[in-house]
Amino acid sequence: MNRLPSGVSTLAMWTYYPELLSTPVPRYTSYPTAAEFGDDVGSADLEAALAGADGDVSLYVHIPFCERICWYCGCNTTRNNRAHRLRSYLDALHTEIALVGERLPATARVRRIAFGGGSPNAIEPVEFVRLMVSLTQTFRVVDPVISVEIDPRSVTRAWADTLAGVGVRQASLGVQTFDLKLQEAIGRVQAGHLIAECTELLRKAGIRSLNFDLMYGLPGQTLAQLEDTLRQAAVLEANRIALFGFAHVPHLIPRQRQIDATALPDQAERFTMAARGLDLLTDAGYTPVGFDHFALPGDPLAQAAVSGRLHRNFQGFTDDPAPVLIGLGASAISSFPRLLVQNEKNTGRYQMMLSQRRLTATRGIERDADDRTRAGIIENLLCAGRARIPAALLRTASRCLAPFAERDLIKMEGDVLILANAALPYARTIAAVFDRYRIDATRRFSAAV
Amino acid sequence: MSSCAQCSARESAICQSLSDADLDRLSSAGRHQTLQRGQTVVWQGDESLLVGNVIDGVLKLSVTSAEGKDQTLGIMFQSDFIGRPFGAKTQHSVVALTDAHICTFRRSSFDNFARQHPELEHSLLQRTLIDLDRTREWMVLLGRKSATARVASFLLAMSERVGSAAEAGGAEALRFELPLSRQDMADLLGLTIETVSRQITALREQGIIETPGRRSIVVLDAERLGDCAEEA
Repeated sequence: MNRLPSGVSTLAMWTYYPELLSTPVPRYTSYPTAAEFGDDVGSADLEAALAGADGDVSLYVHIPFCERICWYCGCNTTRNNRAHRLRSYLDALHTEIALVGERLPATARVRRIAFGGGSPNAIEPVEFVRLMVSLTQTFRVVDPVISVEIDPRSVTRAWADTLAGVGVRQASLGVQTFDLKLQEAIGRVQAGHLIAECTELLRKAGIRSLNFDLMYGLPGQTLAQLEDTLRQAAVLEANRIALFGFAHVPHLIPRQRQIDATALPDQAERFTMAARGLDLLTDAGYTPVGFDHFALPGDPLAQAAVSGRLHRNFQGFTDDPAPVLIGLGASAISSFPRLLVQNEKNTGRYQMMLSQRRLTATRGIERDADDRTRAGIIENLLCAGRARIPAALLRTASRCLAPFAERDLIKMEGDVLILANAALPYARTIAAVFDRYRIDATRRFSAAV
Repeated sequence: MSSCAQCSARESAICQSLSDADLDRLSSAGRHQTLQRGQTVVWQGDESLLVGNVIDGVLKLSVTSAEGKDQTLGIMFQSDFIGRPFGAKTQHSVVALTDAHICTFRRSSFDNFARQHPELEHSLLQRTLIDLDRTREWMVLLGRKSATARVASFLLAMSERVGSAAEAGGAEALRFELPLSRQDMADLLGLTIETVSRQITALREQGIIETPGRRSIVVLDAERLGDCAEEA
């Protein structure tokens, strides 16, 4: 472990072309992206899509509460400072579970349940178990893979017992950085020993696949600090690492105004950090997964990446092949082959609608045949680094692809577009060429690196 | 007045960990109900989500679908905690399968009390985890296609819940009184009464169970009963 990069390093392989990264691009956790959602799609569309769903279905349950709010976070979340607010929200969530369950055909089988937020562990452990009871008696849940996002600052013994008792095997910890000064800079302080202790507790509770969310590009972050964080994550044997570029977009996330932006690394520095991250983690034995995830070879995510079974959904890169994802909770997005639809974001309105026993879907987009073709291309480019391109699409895209081809970042083999290894930092930018909604995307998204 | 001192579920109910003084305080927030066979638990007030203890008797938790179909989601026995979040606004109902006594609390007051009493909070969590396990088992039971598997799973679950050790032909066995009629069993399992009777007869003829009285069941061979329960 911690070998110095040797042989062909990423730094040597990746070339920085600032001109190719000048336009911010979406993360493509869906296509079309949430930016294309309109209010012409709503509950009636969700009901129709639910009625038509069968086979494997995955559930996402959103808990939009945290014990403390970090300055950088763009998630839909509020502080859980009032117990009754949590309770009203959970009551609404139970009602939503029942309503969705009534509309889903008996042939639909739930194989995966993901809890995210916010911090699911901001609720009482018993409330989490009650949600599981509700889901179990409502849906046809078959040997589910259950995953939970965890705030390491509020992992208690009771929570560890609960995860073990429920049979949760996958967890994701928001670590971001092990560096105390950087933690202060983003308003999320958690000493290094806390992560180590939490990791041990979760391992004992039976968590087999543990993910660390980490960040580069933090205000004032040096390459050495990033390397140290990555090494510590590797020492703790995180099974998965998601290494995100910090997105400073205070015009979109007002709470980020608390962050001192003067010390933000510039794009060239961010590029170097991303490259160094890939180098260091592959040297430490991790398999790269998509453009920002890493996994140890035994982990299902690494196996999916290696065998071409990787997918992309709202949680990032995943080995989940289910064609239908049902989002439960305020702001949660459901994904069907022909429909993307988002629940009411405002928790007050979400609860009000459910008190009237109404589904809360308020925005979304129908996916037509063209959307589905493009969604497939974008997902394949990001997950597998290659995609078959229909001739008509290739003709319209060729002008935009030329700059990448000239720099040997892409090539065509027949009708298959193939990304070179060195194209990884440009993968989202290349995928965006096939996005018919991206005309002037400036300011709307974060930079690809 | 507290009736907790006389409560027959006292030794095994969720509140067993509390001191007499705390029990008095909790009891004053609770409400006792006597239910007759077939009676639905009456919720007080529209919004109140209730939790409760089964003091004695057998109850079923069921849900009525939009098409009016009734499905049983679980069965509760003495000292079981009815801890699932449901109430008048949901389509869940709790129905007494036998004459029964329960004590109920508003969930919010029970949860608040639990938060101030870590020992109760701990038992609440443990009970809810057990409830999850039982829900999972029950849903698996209902998912079984064959009548043999459903009846065998049911008898196995009952023997685990209410069975007591008995001697039968020198071997160890589990004996229990079925708290339900064949018709109740048929309804719970989604089978006809004839099928239930036929399955019980078949299990008896194979030497897996004995039926010494109208409602008595003795499990002679739990392992083979388990095999039957696993049948597709």
